[in-house]
Amino acid sequence: MSLVVQESGKANSGAPSTRGATIHPALLTFIPLLPFILIFGFFFIYPIAALVYVSFLSNENTFTISNYVTAFSKPYNQGFWNSVKLGLLSALMGAIPGAIAAYFLEIKGSVKIRRVIAALNGVLANTGGVPLAFMFTAALGIQGFITVALKYVGIDLYANQFSLATFSGVLIVYLYFQLPLMIIVFSPAITSLRKEWREAASNLGASRSKYWRHVGLPILFPSFLASFLLLFASGFSAYATVNALTVGNFPLTPLQIGGLLDGNVSATQLHLGKALGVVMIVISALAVVPYLLIQRRVARWTS
Amino acid sequence: MSKVRSQLSLIVVLMSLGIFFLLPMGAAFEYSIRNGLEGGYSFKNYLWAIREEDFVYYALRSFWLSSLTVVITLMVLVPLLTWIHVTKPRVQGWIDGLSLLPLVIPVVAFAVGAQLALPDVVKNTVLELPFLYFILSLPYAYRALDIGLRAIPLKTLVEAARSSGANWRRTITTVIVPITRTAVLATVALTFALSLGEYTLTVLLHWDTFPTWVTFVAQENLLGAIAISMMTLIIPFLLLAAISLLTPSSKNER
Amino acid sequence: MSQNYLKVKGLSKKFGNVVALNNFSLEVARGELVTLLGPSGCGKTTALRLVAGLERQDSGTIFLESRDLTLIPAHHRNMGMVFQAYSLFPNLTVAENVAFGLQMRKVDRSARIKKAHELLDLVGLDSQSARFPHQLSGGQQQRVALARALAFEPEILLLDEPLSALDAQVRSNLREEIRRLQLSLGTTTLFVTHDQEEAMSISDRVGVMNEGRLEQIDTPDDLYNHPKNVFIANFVGLMNQVSGTKTGKSVSVFGANLKVKNEVVTDGRVLVYIRPEFVELECTESDADAKVISRLFLGSVSQVICQLNDGTIVHSLLSSRMSAEFAPGIRVKIRVNEDEVLVSNG
Repeated sequence: MSLVVQESGKANSGAPSTRGATIHPALLTFIPLLPFILIFGFFFIYPIAALVYVSFLSNENTFTISNYVTAFSKPYNQGFWNSVKLGLLSALMGAIPGAIAAYFLEIKGSVKIRRVIAALNGVLANTGGVPLAFMFTAALGIQGFITVALKYVGIDLYANQFSLATFSGVLIVYLYFQLPLMIIVFSPAITSLRKEWREAASNLGASRSKYWRHVGLPILFPSFLASFLLLFASGFSAYATVNALTVGNFPLTPLQIGGLLDGNVSATQLHLGKALGVVMIVISALAVVPYLLIQRRVARWTS
Repeated sequence: MSKVRSQLSLIVVLMSLGIFFLLPMGAAFEYSIRNGLEGGYSFKNYLWAIREEDFVYYALRSFWLSSLTVVITLMVLVPLLTWIHVTKPRVQGWIDGLSLLPLVIPVVAFAVGAQLALPDVVKNTVLELPFLYFILSLPYAYRALDIGLRAIPLKTLVEAARSSGANWRRTITTVIVPITRTAVLATVALTFALSLGEYTLTVLLHWDTFPTWVTFVAQENLLGAIAISMMTLIIPFLLLAAISLLTPSSKNER
Repeated sequence: MSQNYLKVKGLSKKFGNVVALNNFSLEVARGELVTLLGPSGCGKTTALRLVAGLERQDSGTIFLESRDLTLIPAHHRNMGMVFQAYSLFPNLTVAENVAFGLQMRKVDRSARIKKAHELLDLVGLDSQSARFPHQLSGGQQQRVALARALAFEPEILLLDEPLSALDAQVRSNLREEIRRLQLSLGTTTLFVTHDQEEAMSISDRVGVMNEGRLEQIDTPDDLYNHPKNVFIANFVGLMNQVSGTKTGKSVSVFGANLKVKNEVVTDGRVLVYIRPEFVELECTESDADAKVISRLFLGSVSQVICQLNDGTIVHSLLSSRMSAEFAPGIRVKIRVNEDEVLVSNG
């Protein structure tokens, strides 16, 4: 009894100075969460939510789906089609050789070789965009070394009006960050193939090819699919390389959005760019969400 | 004999990769040191780039913006993840999921949203960039730290530090960060590299940093821009390769 | 028992400059369970992997009855192996894992499914047959691995520390189960472990290995009671080492003269090896050899730990009823209840 009195007396004496700032102890424990929620909410959730909201507004700020109607008609539907095609093709062309390279590097490569390749991959996949574009401008330009060398052996790149600012030109350059990205994201799957599985298979009577057919490839396939999806998302939404290569005049959705954002391209609908952005998010999510789900499933296999 | 054969596949792979990566790089380098009409080779494009006043200006700017991103990342994520691993709150699954969300959103779409929604006070200061870079690197930084913290008996260490009288700030700075330094360093490297090379968001929000300056240079001096591009590919690669070769291998590496 | 079912002769294997196995020979009779026991790095796992064909020996031969297996690749050897852990294929269900060996032998689908269920029933996991390995506990996974190794009726079952990743309780249950299955199916088994309790409890014979060589192979009883040398004496079971004085064929320790079992070069101060169950204690006021420092109650027996005047620790195993009087601090006289002992120059 006396304890309670004593306690409340203490609280009273401290009350005047802290009354305004009294925090419930349960809330106090959430303090580490606070900066994250504030920054994430303000700099990410809020802009994305605003983007989605505004994409449904007309120039007079009334509800409309006309932005989306325009987004799915010429020339913007062409942009989506090109972007999806570029994403798929560059992903496919990066994923298969990338997976093979990752396999031999992880299985046969020494620590040193793997580290040097990892450094190269890191630079190309993460900071490559714009510098890669200029690198190819130099190498495959009209006086570039490769162009001249090819001409020397009888292949004239520019006979058919080759340009890096075409679909195939962009595709080539994209391979230079897609292949390294594949090696980066697929290597862990190779490392997680346990020696015990190969040995157990062989002990149970499986030849090398049977091991791959029944065990190795089925185990790697989900990771391959996941990596492919990630590469698709990366190729589909890439902006830097193609912007530097083509100075922004190529029918790809990211460039079209960039043009609308800069006001370089005028549209009668103010909020068309937002609708294009939302469609991009949806397409990207169709690849990234399965990617994340597969990764989670595969992690359970190997833990 | 069989050793040579088993290494053959690796050699073929390495040579293919070598041709694939190094041929255009070498060709571009050759182009960048051409001496123009007089013929011959020189490093004049490189010297031109380095002597440009803007070169240093934008390099420094990119450097401190990236450093600030690293600081924000560590100050937000280290306490957050420590808290998550110690108390295992019910919201853990949600936060894990949220941290991956930026991976889903194409940077172009994110830029449109940021341009649209952020108030002018924020948009008028270049300090918005480190916060946006933080969002972009979040999926990677969060994962890298999470793995590092998962590998140690965090709860026990925190309880030990707290019971020997350290407050939370001291517990994190003198116990947790030093023990998980590999993961912290990985996070720092990831965040720093991503911020340093970020182009899309920066250019769409009309800011100039080192990567966007290069495209600006290209309009007046293409050879200079190529020289700068070669430097931004080769110098980080050499640095990274040197650092990773000098780091002793851990025991779970073959 | 004719010991000529599996015949391994003169196997040697080097990894780089490290000798993993040095002129290793072993014969196993049909239906026998032989265990290779030894500290880590002694070559026991290498021996097993050579028998399985997972490594290629530098020299030596492996015969199964009259069949020369020396150069036969692993997938044609028809031996079932259980690995330490994580060897189940994660992409296949439990039943598919068990049926894998039969599938490789082109047994038709209905027959192999039937057989898989039979084997799973035998290890008590038929209810889990449709699940995936990662949904099972460690102990269950090893049971499935055992069923998988037995499903195609291998000529030899090879067990590579299959219990070492499991909890103590699960471990002792599973080891009894392995023995029960092995006896009922009559499968010739080669078992590798570093856990001597495991080895001694389920084996017909135990081979103790050290530095790539087989030191001694005998029944568990003989190994414990008649170790050939000091290494085995120390490695198998708890052993006291106390100093004594050797003259000719006898050694004097704790005031008694005992016969020396092994050949030792020099007379004089030697180490004498005595099992705890042969150390008897007696309370005394004067001329004490040691002081009791603690007593561990182990159920029907207790272990009394004493310290000699020179600091050496001596363990004595007594029935708990008799050990009650030896509380810590009590001074005791030691008597050795054995005639013949091993000694070394220590």
